Amino acid sequence: MTASAPADVPILQTASSLVELTADTYASLQALPFGGGSSALAPVRDLLASGVEALGRARTDLAAATRAAGGRVQTAPDPKYAPVVEQALPTVRGPGDVVGLALTLEDVLAQTLVRDVADLSVPEVRRTVAGHAGDSARRKALLLTLQALLATGRAELAAVPPDLLALPPAAGTVGFPDVLFPTEKASPADEGAVR
Amino acid sequence: MSAGLPRRRFLAGLGTLAGAAALAACSDAAPGSAPPPPGGPGAPGPPAPTTTTTPAAPAYTGEAALLALGAAVSGLAGDLLGQAAAGAGQGRYGAVPAVVSSYLSGAASQHVAHAEAWNRLLVAAGRPAVVGGPLTVEPGLQQRLDAALAPVDLLGLAADVTATAAATLTAIVGGLTAPAAVTLAAGAAPVAAMHGATAGFLLGRPPTAPADPTAGALGTDALTV
Repeated sequence: MTASAPADVPILQTASSLVELTADTYASLQALPFGGGSSALAPVRDLLASGVEALGRARTDLAAATRAAGGRVQTAPDPKYAPVVEQALPTVRGPGDVVGLALTLEDVLAQTLVRDVADLSVPEVRRTVAGHAGDSARRKALLLTLQALLATGRAELAAVPPDLLALPPAAGTVGFPDVLFPTEKASPADEGAVR
Repeated sequence: MSAGLPRRRFLAGLGTLAGAAALAACSDAAPGSAPPPPGGPGAPGPPAPTTTTTPAAPAYTGEAALLALGAAVSGLAGDLLGQAAAGAGQGRYGAVPAVVSSYLSGAASQHVAHAEAWNRLLVAAGRPAVVGGPLTVEPGLQQRLDAALAPVDLLGLAADVTATAAATLTAIVGGLTAPAAVTLAAGAAPVAAMHGATAGFLLGRPPTAPADPTAGALGTDALTV
């Protein structure tokens, strides 16, 4: 990997800290019966499993980029959102809570990665981070869709495959609310930097 | 293209750029007639050139080619999904669930908006706007849409087309240097990915996160303009 400029290090470390937190949270949610267990809705269980796998690749790629830029790899969770997750996890009571917590983290992660693409200096690293932004955005789209379906009070709508005739029309578009992916919730570059 | 499908209607948003494209194309025209031969009009001229067929120079080179690729892949996705939505409204594919029609229309409009944004960058750079989806893959995808019989065919096509758009926009992030272009690619690629995720959900496919997010990306050699 081409070496990044030193200014890229805090950007990559903050991205790593968000990936760490999101991956750890997904693992915790997977351990819940209605997250990854036997009573979980299939799309929720599948999304958590797919997310853990993709976030593992993001962790590896961001660590490699950080080292190439001459920085120390961030392995701690994001300091702003870790307490939020710590407080929220014990209150998770069902699939709606699982989706809500995951969505909160994915939105911040995706927005941060999208902003990072514009801020990073090395084209190859930009492309790698853009790929992970896309993965996070895919999960956000599914979480938004699942959230909307669960909000109807009819959990059976969140099935694999879904009953297309039963789905509300809005379920076709709720997963992509913005023409361009927003970045106003992106974490500042130094939020998760190694101190 | 099948008769009865108002394909170009979905390019209406690009119509205002067509004039700019024409103007820009004029500015790119080859120089006019050759100068008179040395010694004046009566002097013997150079030997007549051998008649050959020279391939037309590509309209877009360098970074402009990447901008054109972004416009073309977004335009093609918007066009195909828009046609699918129109055909669904006309009953061409049988009873199409409202959620599918809604998806097709919503995703199409966002791809068209992306194409417009890419074209604004092209025009600002003094290059002609791209109209439609002039790509080598366009005929095959059009044939696939023309052969679609049911909503599941439309969703399958949408999943593939949006995957191509997402991969292509992700790939060109690494080649762009103008900040506005990098920001556009960074903001549009995830939205295309969200379209693909939604299509996958409606199809009942498990969530995916491609190990190589640029797999299947089109290069500038796929442009036919």
